[in-house]
Amino acid sequence: MQIVIIGNSAAGLSALSRFRSIDRESPITLISAESGTAYSKVLLPYYLRRKIPYENLFIRRPEDYTQAGIKTEFGVKVKRVDTESHTLTLEDGRTIGFARLLIATGSRPFLPPIEGLAGANVYHLWTLSDTEQLDSLFRPGQRALVIGSGFIALQAAWAAQQRGLKVTVFELLPRIMPTVLDDRAAAVLRQKVEEHGVEVRIGIHTEAVERTRKGLLRVQTKGHPPLDVDLIIVGAGVRPNTELLDGSPVQIDRGIPVDEYMETNVPGIYAAGDVARGPTAFGETHQTHALWPTAVEHGRIAGANMAGRSVPYQGSLNMNVTEMFGITVASMGKFIEDEGLTSHVIDEAGQSRYVKIILREGIPIGAVALGDADDTVILGRLRPWIRNQRSLPDVGGFLEGRYLLPRQVA
Amino acid sequence: MRIVEVDPTSCVACRNCEYACAFKQTGDFDIKDSNIRVNFYPEERACIPWTCVHCGEGWCMEVCPAGAILRNPETGAVEIDANHCAGCKMCLLACPSGSIHFDKVELVSKKCDLCGGDPACVKFCTSGALQFVEEEEAYSFRRESLDNKLKRLFGLNKRGS
Repeated sequence: MQIVIIGNSAAGLSALSRFRSIDRESPITLISAESGTAYSKVLLPYYLRRKIPYENLFIRRPEDYTQAGIKTEFGVKVKRVDTESHTLTLEDGRTIGFARLLIATGSRPFLPPIEGLAGANVYHLWTLSDTEQLDSLFRPGQRALVIGSGFIALQAAWAAQQRGLKVTVFELLPRIMPTVLDDRAAAVLRQKVEEHGVEVRIGIHTEAVERTRKGLLRVQTKGHPPLDVDLIIVGAGVRPNTELLDGSPVQIDRGIPVDEYMETNVPGIYAAGDVARGPTAFGETHQTHALWPTAVEHGRIAGANMAGRSVPYQGSLNMNVTEMFGITVASMGKFIEDEGLTSHVIDEAGQSRYVKIILREGIPIGAVALGDADDTVILGRLRPWIRNQRSLPDVGGFLEGRYLLPRQVA
Repeated sequence: MRIVEVDPTSCVACRNCEYACAFKQTGDFDIKDSNIRVNFYPEERACIPWTCVHCGEGWCMEVCPAGAILRNPETGAVEIDANHCAGCKMCLLACPSGSIHFDKVELVSKKCDLCGGDPACVKFCTSGALQFVEEEEAYSFRRESLDNKLKRLFGLNKRGS
């Protein structure tokens, strides 16, 4: 049974190892548009700010593929998927047949429709080559504008600041990290960011980018004087890579909708990771997270089912964590107050600590933690409660480290 | 492999395990550095030491974006390679039992490595609540109590049966 996996990152690799743990025999071809062995996208900002050496970015060695009996096609794009004849066409014209196919093509950065933004000196922090490019441009004294304030955008801002650049962050919405933090947490983090000398402007509408004769970028905004910078880093979200399915019967709707077995509407064709829209722990049927842990879970489920098992996915639970500007930022699940929800909050903003658990009828559904890494551990312990929809009567006790596991251990 | 088995009914909350673990790692007795943690349940009058159970398919291992969490082939322990850990804290958020902690000096994650096969927490446990036992035999006291319940249920403990 010929297996083809398109994608050499979290989802593809996770599927690969799960498949191989069940099926040692079937031939597997792994295709990736990027050349070289797998690297970790999560680690790119850590390299950029020199927390880790370049070689630590790589999470597979060439021999890892050969030892697992994998044929690799790196540095080549898949142009078309023919579901009738079960063949792929590569951009160099070659065709590859498949019995089962996994599409784990990931996503790419979104470039907001701002006049003049597309062009020279505008970068992303998404791929290894993006990172290498930024690395060569990060020189002390250079001025950088970061458009967006999500995880990647702020990590890029922190790396740039740490490397001696003068950094400004623009966020269109009225708080930073709008999809990761609530208002209060965002305010605490914003203060930390500003303490590091990074200028943060929220609720700012970027109107146009002009290129001056001196080679600078002049950024025009509504209601503010123009800002001159040497480079712009755009971190404004990602979009799924689905072009290879254009014209195929595989359904596309802001990504590839998959069922709980990670299978698309076409039998034998699976999707996982940023490109897939799978079920969530909250009962939503099709949701994209574009998060590493979700991609790993997707891949694991897809790999098992491609190998003939019948393993349903219990649904993704979004989780995010990083340390930046000297503070740990973590969130998961649904963490914004709403009607019918209660919240339990520890607010010690003076010590830069903020923890919030959101509950629906006593069942935790999400949390935010800012401050020390110890609160991240508490959030980790909360995950099984959210997943298994277990009622948590004593939230205060839980936050103090009680209630070990959602089972009755005592 | 052998794991650290915890018998909550025997724990007397002396916290020697925490001191032993902290000392083993740092040469000092700050129990905040301990990888094993004693959890207190005052209302239930219970205390439960808890440490990594070295899960068969550890979510921490799978999710680590640096590929820095690996199983030690000799001891079976799930270990963090500090040289490859980037300090992203994904494992802290992934572990359902809160058994991974952050080393605030080295800025990397850390966890129980079974002290290379001779865990200090077990050695210094004063009450016998911690035992270093083969995985298959771990928590046999639980099974015994279950067995007893079943026996009672089916009347097998009655004299003469």
